[in-house]
Amino acid sequence: MLKTTDLAYWYENESNVLFKDVNLEFMAGNLYAIVGQSGTGKTSLLALLGGLDVQRAGHIEYAGTDIAKIGLSNYRRRDVSMIFQSYNLLEYMSALDNLMTAMAITGAQHQGEREYARGMLRQLGLSEDQMVQNVRKLSGGQQQRVAIARTMVLDAKLVLADEPTGNLDERNTAAVLALLQALAHEAGKCVIMVTHEAEVARQCDVVLRLKNRQLTVEQTVAAAASGTK
Amino acid sequence: MNFIKRAWLNLITRRGRSLLLVLVTSAIMLFVLAGILLRGAANTATQTAKDNVGATLTLSANRQAAFKKLRQGSSSGKPMGKMALNMQPVKISIAKQIAQLSNIAGYSVNVAASANASGFSAISSTSGSSGGPGGMPGASSRGDITISGVSSTASSSNFANDTYSITRGHGLTAKDAGTKHVVIESELAKQNNLNVGDTIKLKATSGSKKTYQATVIGIYKAKSSSTATAGPGASDPANTIFTAYAFANQLKGSKYAGTADSVTFTVSTPGKLSSVKKAANKLINRKTYVLNSDDASYKLVAQSMSSATSFANKIVWLVAIAGTIILALIVILMIRERRHEIGVLLALGEGRGKIIAQFFTELFIVLLVGVGIAGAGGKFVGDKLGAQVMSSQTASLTNLSTVTGGGQQGGPSAGGQVPGGRGGAPAGGQMNGAATQTAKLSAIKTHVTAKYLLELFAFGLLIILIAILAGAGGIFALQPRKILIE
Repeated sequence: MLKTTDLAYWYENESNVLFKDVNLEFMAGNLYAIVGQSGTGKTSLLALLGGLDVQRAGHIEYAGTDIAKIGLSNYRRRDVSMIFQSYNLLEYMSALDNLMTAMAITGAQHQGEREYARGMLRQLGLSEDQMVQNVRKLSGGQQQRVAIARTMVLDAKLVLADEPTGNLDERNTAAVLALLQALAHEAGKCVIMVTHEAEVARQCDVVLRLKNRQLTVEQTVAAAASGTK
Repeated sequence: MNFIKRAWLNLITRRGRSLLLVLVTSAIMLFVLAGILLRGAANTATQTAKDNVGATLTLSANRQAAFKKLRQGSSSGKPMGKMALNMQPVKISIAKQIAQLSNIAGYSVNVAASANASGFSAISSTSGSSGGPGGMPGASSRGDITISGVSSTASSSNFANDTYSITRGHGLTAKDAGTKHVVIESELAKQNNLNVGDTIKLKATSGSKKTYQATVIGIYKAKSSSTATAGPGASDPANTIFTAYAFANQLKGSKYAGTADSVTFTVSTPGKLSSVKKAANKLINRKTYVLNSDDASYKLVAQSMSSATSFANKIVWLVAIAGTIILALIVILMIRERRHEIGVLLALGEGRGKIIAQFFTELFIVLLVGVGIAGAGGKFVGDKLGAQVMSSQTASLTNLSTVTGGGQQGGPSAGGQVPGGRGGAPAGGQMNGAATQTAKLSAIKTHVTAKYLLELFAFGLLIILIAILAGAGGIFALQPRKILIE
């Protein structure tokens, strides 16, 4: 589904390389975890995979087409959906309006869109009142669930999550992880998550470690689809 | 069209910020509108002033040619003392031909004569009213009453520029052309207990020296009737009686029938004065008559009004530029503050154009409210500003007319000349007319019309477009990741 070839990224110049020669193929139906110490470039790698930034070298292909050819804006709108540690919700809207706006921007088609979005929020544990409240009035866990719900209502096959449990307590962490697993295993999406929590990583299908500027496979659950190199 | 919904949600959720934007935009729009209104009013006023003040052509005897003829006669051996300056009065028939030319709005006839009061007494001034300037040829035939024959009092320069005004009865009009109706000065009326409807007797001082009975149909008040302005030996200005020009000719003598001392033509389009003069010159014998053009007051008013228009233009542009800078700064700060939101929208795949469209829609709604508020208050500010500008223009013009025209404004019989002078357009009177005209304009009122509101709206759109592009340009150059992280 998503393939990287000789992917590299550095800041000002090549002597400051974060990672290079990343060659990977991510498959649908799997939950991937990218782990590594702070500053190794986990978030930068995720940003490249999400089309939020441009690599210094190499290629990224989505469904066999270079994402540069798809157009980064089109790619972000149609093919990929992101969850951030800081939720990145539109703060002047309610939870419901956030979902409706995301659906409108990406062109996600669902019958009875408003009711569909409500159902998704309800499924993630938000009450009817909370759905129409301004998102700033919701707790961190609730906001993250809104962010995940936003991902779930979109048609994107690729879900990228940057430290989605970073600001959450144990109970909310477990709930969010369960949702991501469901997105991968039940909805058949390819979910790639950056995390620094070993326990969270252990529950993923494939764990990739970014170390010494290289990305290596650390753990593969037997059930995980093949494809990582 | 999701960006419109986002714009609306943002405006109503962040009410405080929206209100602040509305207030700033309204203030800017208010001053831009005031400038636009003032400019429009100044343009209209300039046109009105030009139309009203106009320019004139005066047809009179060619004095220079008459002197030249006199000198030629002298050189042929005739003694100067036995020769008289022979100036032909203007024939009304010629004036009527000129009046047919295009761009001639109308004409007024002026005849100066004198008569002696019979059965009532003229006002005596300390300088003496009888005799006129001693030793001057014809002095013996001068009476104590100055007759100013006109086609209508309204067309007389003194009435036109409000130096004289009718206080009782009415002035002379075209209907009084063949009558012996007169309009007398209030001091003369008071001294002789005369009122509207009374009759007076005037005795001709030349020709048949017949006595005529005339009816008083109006009494006028001269704002300034000081003899000091008339010079020594002059009849008191209060002794000036206005009559129909035909009656004035009767008093002068039968040979003056159908003539005038001067005829003043009003040119409807002052800009075409020279071409009208050229056409009129073809209709006259230039050895006998001369046409003098006068557009000084027109130029003075035009210059004065142009400076008011220029001032209004400066206000429009200064406020627009200042407004753009202020609004642009606010929008830049607002957009920078919302860079996270921009990042989120870009991460969702929203196009940059639609994000700009969202900000534009927000400010468009704010602008609509701002223009509405400005429309309600713009007239008030425009009127205040207009009154201030026009009063300063009037003051400067009045000062100018006092300096340039005051000394020449003697009124009838000034300096012991023929009563009424050229009657048509003494320079001082014209300058005063220009000042009066501009003074009338000081009360100009601005009007908020749909056209002005549309112009204001266009200004506002331009301002917010520049402000948004200035504010968002830098952010949109960044990758979404940088916006979200930085």
